[in-house]
Amino acid sequence: MTNVAVRAEGLVKNYGDIEAVRRVDLTIEAGEVFGFLGPNGAGKSTTVRMLTTLLTITAGSAQVAGLDVATEPDAVRHRIGVALQEAGLDPRQTGRELLVLQGRLFGQTPQEAAARAEELLELVELQDAADRRIKGYSGGMKRRLDLASALVNRPEVLFLDEPTTGLDPASRLTIWDEVRRINERGTTVFLTTQYLEEADALCDRLAIIDGGLIVREGTPEHLKAELRARAGIPNPTLDDVFLDATGRTRSRVAGDVQEVA
Amino acid sequence: MAQAWTLGNRALREAWRTPEALVPTLFIPLFFLVVNVGQAAKIFPGSTTAFLHGQGYGAFQLPSSLLLAASFGTAALFLVEDIEGGYFDKLRATPIPRSAIVLGRLVAEFAKGLLISVLIVVLGLIFGISIASGPLGFVLLVLLTALWACVFVGFMQLIALKTRSAAATNSGGLVFFPLLFLTPNFVPRDLLTRPMEIAASVNPVTYVMEALRSLILEDLVWSKIAYGFGVVAVLFALMIALNVRVIQRYD
Repeated sequence: MTNVAVRAEGLVKNYGDIEAVRRVDLTIEAGEVFGFLGPNGAGKSTTVRMLTTLLTITAGSAQVAGLDVATEPDAVRHRIGVALQEAGLDPRQTGRELLVLQGRLFGQTPQEAAARAEELLELVELQDAADRRIKGYSGGMKRRLDLASALVNRPEVLFLDEPTTGLDPASRLTIWDEVRRINERGTTVFLTTQYLEEADALCDRLAIIDGGLIVREGTPEHLKAELRARAGIPNPTLDDVFLDATGRTRSRVAGDVQEVA
Repeated sequence: MAQAWTLGNRALREAWRTPEALVPTLFIPLFFLVVNVGQAAKIFPGSTTAFLHGQGYGAFQLPSSLLLAASFGTAALFLVEDIEGGYFDKLRATPIPRSAIVLGRLVAEFAKGLLISVLIVVLGLIFGISIASGPLGFVLLVLLTALWACVFVGFMQLIALKTRSAAATNSGGLVFFPLLFLTPNFVPRDLLTRPMEIAASVNPVTYVMEALRSLILEDLVWSKIAYGFGVVAVLFALMIALNVRVIQRYD
């Protein structure tokens, strides 16, 4: 595998006259947990969908796992795992059936798919619910199963689009632990989130996108230090970095929640 | 095709686990069969009506019920559910040909079409209808019905992929009703008024219906059978081509 897991150069996505993503440049090293932050509608999911071959690219280029997203989409799909914003699951299947089917679609034999499903059910601690229909799963269980299904093919790069949105704090911590475990096994993780404490806890580096443009990029510590030096804030948090980067302030947010939303 | 088969199995499992979606597919066509026969059987007694070839009016109406049963397009509604729930994108992110996603559903629809048409024909046999073309005719009857189910669900899937809306897909299915009524539904084509005869002659459903009817009432009348299978083959090829094109351009 190349040392660069994801590279995007001048990535653009337009919907008619609307520029959802405007000339995004990204370089993510193999083995990193990379956080992609931004308010709603900033372009996070659109960027993820382009990098995962689900959306066509209007302009610019992107390589994932060393492969061009636009010209080698099938090869890219072999090497990535994707868990999108809505846990994309079939409620009528059992957890085990879903994982086995996913394995079969990645070319595994029935025996390989069954064995891999068992491993993943153990990894996300869903063995007891494996043979129950997914429609009866809690939100946290669905997220963990979605995560497991993204790992069926042992991906080099795992894309997680807001994996903890809507989860209770305990389920969120469980997902965090799993992301760390997955990363420790060598998988690069591209994580979009709206939760700044999540980015602070998990990410080696992060980028903040706003209005389709990258407005900050670096390690959490670097970004906080830069804000401390520039604005004189004694102990800035990632919240402060985010508010500064997106042109919002604590007092304005307190008075007008709509600005952040 | 291996992936289409795998996804077809999943779609069949989905249908088996949603019996409430299958029940109307059987109940409504049988309801129409009973009502239509009840309303017109006295007008067309089997003993004196030449176009019935000695059978009751139920035998004449059975093809309408078969076509109606094959035109519910529930597979397309399940496809919309996949789109709305995000599972469709999960499938698109796997390294399978995207055409396998729609072809898989057609595989399942074909199997469901066979099962439902066998059930309806067997019920017809129990109530005195006979298949004049014999065992081979029976096979051709259920095969043609199941292929029509694939054509219709292919059409519904196009609406599903284009609109990504359950409401729009459901409404799109209603297009079948005008097509069904612009056929020789109650009497043979030569007994229709001239405007209706012209409308029926340009309606492809007419040829499928006449092929099914000939298998029940006449014998192996290959000219009519060939028209029916020919229409279905052309429409099936068209639907597959359009489905593949639309899903490959899905963004």
